[in-house]
Amino acid sequence: MTSNQFMFLLFSAVIVIFSILTVTSRRILRAATFLLFVLVSTAGLYFLLKYNYLAAIQLTLYAGGIVVLIIFSILLTSHISEKLPTAGLLKKWPAALVALVGAALCIVVILQYNFPGSVVDTEVVNVRDIGNSLISYGEKGYALPFEVISVLLLAALIGAIVLAKKRKD
Amino acid sequence: MSAESLILFFIVGAFLVGIALLFSSIVPPTSTNPQKAEAYECGIPTEGLTWLQFNVGYYLFAIIFLIFDVETVFIFPWAVVMKEAGIAGFIEIVIFFFVLGLGLLYAWKKGALKWE
Amino acid sequence: MAFNIYDFTSFTQSIDEALYEWLPPFWALIVEMTIIGLVFLIGYAIIGLFLVYAERKVCAFMQNRVGPNRVGPYGIFQTIADFIKLLMKELVYIKNSDKLLFNIAPFIVIIASFMAIAAIPFAKGLHAIDFDIGIMYVIAVTSLGVVGVLLAGWSSNNKYSLIGAMRSGAQIISYELSVGLSLLTIIVLAGTMQFSEVVELQSSGWFIFKGHIPACIAFVIFLIASTAETNRGPFDLAEAESELTAGFHTEYSGIKFAFFFLAEYMNMFIVASIAATVFLGGWMPFHIGSWEGFNYVMDFIPPLFWYFGKTAFIIWLMMWFKWTFPRLRIDQLLNLEWKYLLPINLVNILIMAFIVLMGWHF
Repeated sequence: MTSNQFMFLLFSAVIVIFSILTVTSRRILRAATFLLFVLVSTAGLYFLLKYNYLAAIQLTLYAGGIVVLIIFSILLTSHISEKLPTAGLLKKWPAALVALVGAALCIVVILQYNFPGSVVDTEVVNVRDIGNSLISYGEKGYALPFEVISVLLLAALIGAIVLAKKRKD
Repeated sequence: MSAESLILFFIVGAFLVGIALLFSSIVPPTSTNPQKAEAYECGIPTEGLTWLQFNVGYYLFAIIFLIFDVETVFIFPWAVVMKEAGIAGFIEIVIFFFVLGLGLLYAWKKGALKWE
Repeated sequence: MAFNIYDFTSFTQSIDEALYEWLPPFWALIVEMTIIGLVFLIGYAIIGLFLVYAERKVCAFMQNRVGPNRVGPYGIFQTIADFIKLLMKELVYIKNSDKLLFNIAPFIVIIASFMAIAAIPFAKGLHAIDFDIGIMYVIAVTSLGVVGVLLAGWSSNNKYSLIGAMRSGAQIISYELSVGLSLLTIIVLAGTMQFSEVVELQSSGWFIFKGHIPACIAFVIFLIASTAETNRGPFDLAEAESELTAGFHTEYSGIKFAFFFLAEYMNMFIVASIAATVFLGGWMPFHIGSWEGFNYVMDFIPPLFWYFGKTAFIIWLMMWFKWTFPRLRIDQLLNLEWKYLLPINLVNILIMAFIVLMGWHF
């Protein structure tokens, strides 16, 4: 087993275990903490693929931004100290059934597809390349999406402020 | 190599804290006392619930922060290539900042940046 | 160039090659990792202990006192004695606290600061990781520490802790933006985020001189924002002793408290070394354009000396701030960030981009 395989298995195991803990935890802040571990190990997977820029985005935006936002929004609600009630059997069985069918479907589809073994060495994506394609406006350029993102962010900002202000009144 | 090093630094950091906590939970003498487990509020017994509902202001600042954080993430690749990009890169970032400046201005005028 | 006389690349490379020659690849990797881990662990502990001592001495100097002077000559072993004392203290658990999160919180803050140190270049060839996203990586990793602070405050089941943690969280995330944007100003000038390239580019002059006006503005903003991000005075309202006892770590005792304390000082060290590396040339000696003779003489001072000298200077500046300015209120703090630093920063980046475009930098 190469060290790359070992690290892949390690990260995947952490992601799987903490994902399950996130959805099964009865205390909402613990769930948020477990989610943090899932997001950090996902960043680890990106580092493993040598896609450093995406890994850094994952760390800054998800682990450092979204998790903090989640914690703030948990503290915004009342009754956070209570444990969530356990679901009754009537709800548990159908949920388990749906989850099993979904998982079986995914597994069948994945197993049926014949993945060709990759012979290409991992391609290192440089930040410089990303920057060049982000601002070039010719073919394979992303200048327009880059500008549209700013409009999208503006819309998100206005929406967030309108919602939060409405809530306060 | 980078992913190995990151795991290494993660493990060493966890090791540093873990070993000290382990030592501290075994070696020092302990004593039990019901007073000791009380929350420290300068000697006065604590009243009511700790986990109260918080001001919406914190949430608002977190969400504005997140939006500007997304923006910074997109500026990083631009900043790296600005030198070679020339006038096109400059015009693109002026438009980008103009739109975001509008957002900041909106938040300012709406009083979202004011602490209440 | 003469600054290559103190090049550690061949030294570290020869260790690496020797290990791979003697041992099978797997064990060589393990041994190498252990060596790196131990070196950084010891360095981390020594720097942390020294910074606590330095803080007390500088504070004493500012207030016309003597400071610690009993343990060892000039009291230099004082922090080691304190550390042993804290290690021998009982860990107290609070009624109704969330024990799991209470214990995880110090792990998160220490790991975040430890991972950030991995990317810092101490001298040529003396760094653990050299990414093409170096600066962005450090910003990303240090942003994880805030989660530890929030969890610490929440799990303590103490009102002071929770209020302190919420204030800390709002402050850290706000000022993180200014830290990132002021570093972006220099990235525009440098055209790279890799720390080794950033330092090499400053061999003909530090970026604070090369980028003149916008670089100086960015440097001042970085100093203010990083002081606030590390929760140090005058921005220490999260642990305002007079109103919140000790903020988010009120309920932490013994060695757990020591870790929060250590993380605060190490974060200060990290931001100071980033400031030294990005604005003041890192381990690069002081060079002036084409003064060959002067540059040649400067090159004989070892890079580690330059690096630690610059970092110590910035740390001293931050300590000076703490004992000079009065503490801010939370509304003043948020005003300063969102209504002054952020707009100034955005305009400053545009100015820098324009200067780079016109070629008006050195």
